Amino acid sequence: MSENRLQVGRVLRAGVQGFVVGCELKQPDIPPFGSFVRANGITPGSAIYGLVYNVSLEDDLFARHFVGRDIDEGVIKDERENRQVPVEVSILAVGCAEGETLRQCLPPHPPVTLDWLYQCTDEEVRAFTARLDYFRLVLDARQTPVDELLAASIRTAAVARPEEEREMFLVGAGRELARLLAGDPLRLEGLLRRLQSA
Amino acid sequence: MTLELSKLAGQVRAMGQQLATREREYANMIEQARQWLAQYADQGEPLRHPARESHAAIPTGERLDAEFPLPAIPERFTFIAADGVEVQPDSHEIAYYYLINVGCLVYRHGSDQTPEAYSQPIIGSTEDDIYDHDQLVAGNLLDIKRDLVEITTLAERCAAEPPDATTIAVVDGTLIMWTLKDTPQEYQREKVLAYIQQLDRIRNSGALVAAFISRPRRGEVTRLLHLASAGGTAKQASEVPNPLIHIPDYAVFEMLPPGARSALFASPSSINYDYYEEEGHTIHFFYLNVATEGSAPAIARVEVPAWVAKDADRLALVHGAIVAQARITGDYPYALVRADELAFISGPEREALEDMVITALVRAGVRTALSPKKYYKTLTRQGKRKFR
Repeated sequence: MSENRLQVGRVLRAGVQGFVVGCELKQPDIPPFGSFVRANGITPGSAIYGLVYNVSLEDDLFARHFVGRDIDEGVIKDERENRQVPVEVSILAVGCAEGETLRQCLPPHPPVTLDWLYQCTDEEVRAFTARLDYFRLVLDARQTPVDELLAASIRTAAVARPEEEREMFLVGAGRELARLLAGDPLRLEGLLRRLQSA
Repeated sequence: MTLELSKLAGQVRAMGQQLATREREYANMIEQARQWLAQYADQGEPLRHPARESHAAIPTGERLDAEFPLPAIPERFTFIAADGVEVQPDSHEIAYYYLINVGCLVYRHGSDQTPEAYSQPIIGSTEDDIYDHDQLVAGNLLDIKRDLVEITTLAERCAAEPPDATTIAVVDGTLIMWTLKDTPQEYQREKVLAYIQQLDRIRNSGALVAAFISRPRRGEVTRLLHLASAGGTAKQASEVPNPLIHIPDYAVFEMLPPGARSALFASPSSINYDYYEEEGHTIHFFYLNVATEGSAPAIARVEVPAWVAKDADRLALVHGAIVAQARITGDYPYALVRADELAFISGPEREALEDMVITALVRAGVRTALSPKKYYKTLTRQGKRKFR
């Protein structure tokens, strides 16, 4: 696939269940919570798909020094645009690809340190969410705010579609959720309520 | 852990008591120094010649006890700071090389622009880099090289600024190449003139230049006060013990109000008069309290060349600009903090550089090995273990 897309950052640490990338604060589009991202797999032509479940800024003693001070605008810009304030984006792995074949399961290998992570295009999001098997992976995840993440990813996938297809997609997603959460109606209701705002 | 802290506990306790006692003793001496500063405040002119002979601060036309309040700070000015660090060459390493890394921040006050941050690493590994006039470039000689890279960086940045005299270039440390004092004259001349050439470039660019030294240990003003109290001649002063000998100047000037500077003095360094003076760059200095109202004094020594010192507007701009920068953080120029951060080489970065060097050597077909001494140090310093 073409790598002519928005780079999010480079992989810092990784496992098959997920990985963390580092990026700069001045990056124009740090991907929002629930968005789809893609990293290259170890083998040529392979890829790993994931969902952003956290964006965090690491603590910095020098920045702390200015908390409570009357801060000059130059300091704020210097801090945000020049200083290497590490922004960490955490990803939950939800799928992989070998050539044109997409699978919604954990990848066989994690991405490699310092590999680029890219934001998925709308076309890739549509292709990936043509099936909704990844819901199970998200619902089983432990380290993430699962329901919020799943709802956010469904909203992202809906927005990636033409307006006339969104409702049909959301209805399909709702049905899949109803099937997976048949034994937990309260949780299902919460998730469906979150989707109503999409 | 080999450092047996339990064996140090008694020594550290004693050190604390000694320091407390010394502080009480020093307080009396500092009081004495301030009395002399007031008493001999108008004796600057007759003390000028003997001061140079005694290596004491050389008075200028200002009263010795003068205090100049914070001048009006211009709305717009550019503050450029540079600072450098070095990795000393080590014959026990895989390869013999040194590294200089200079950080630089351009901070534009009164604008919405993001400060510009730079760093420039330079590796020295060729014969010409490693030997200078047949002397190994290490220790003080590498410090000199770093000072030259710092001032050259500032000169280059100043040259890129509009020549409207609102740019202030500041180095962390000194403008005087003290470290050359004990080097052969030919070497000394070459290096000082190279440094002065960069000061010329800064002057010609329309910018101002200064050096900022936080809490300096120099005792040139206290030496001047002793000289004055001993009768005013170098001979008389040399015959009487100096009670202020261990009192640094900054302690005397802790009475400066926030934002105020002391009188100007000229540096008595022989290098200053042998080289800087004839090029119009005689280095002057003053002490400055950069702290804010209600905070403990933060005294710095600020050095400026004669063409700044003798122009009231330029001097006021340097004075105000440094205080404005220091007030961003509280008591130290922000741009100098950042220049240091940009220059700093962390342990992991150093290791990454060593890995790059090994790779480059292997690719070039060079056999590499640490010296036996270094090899065993790497084994023993990875993490100490004790069996008792």
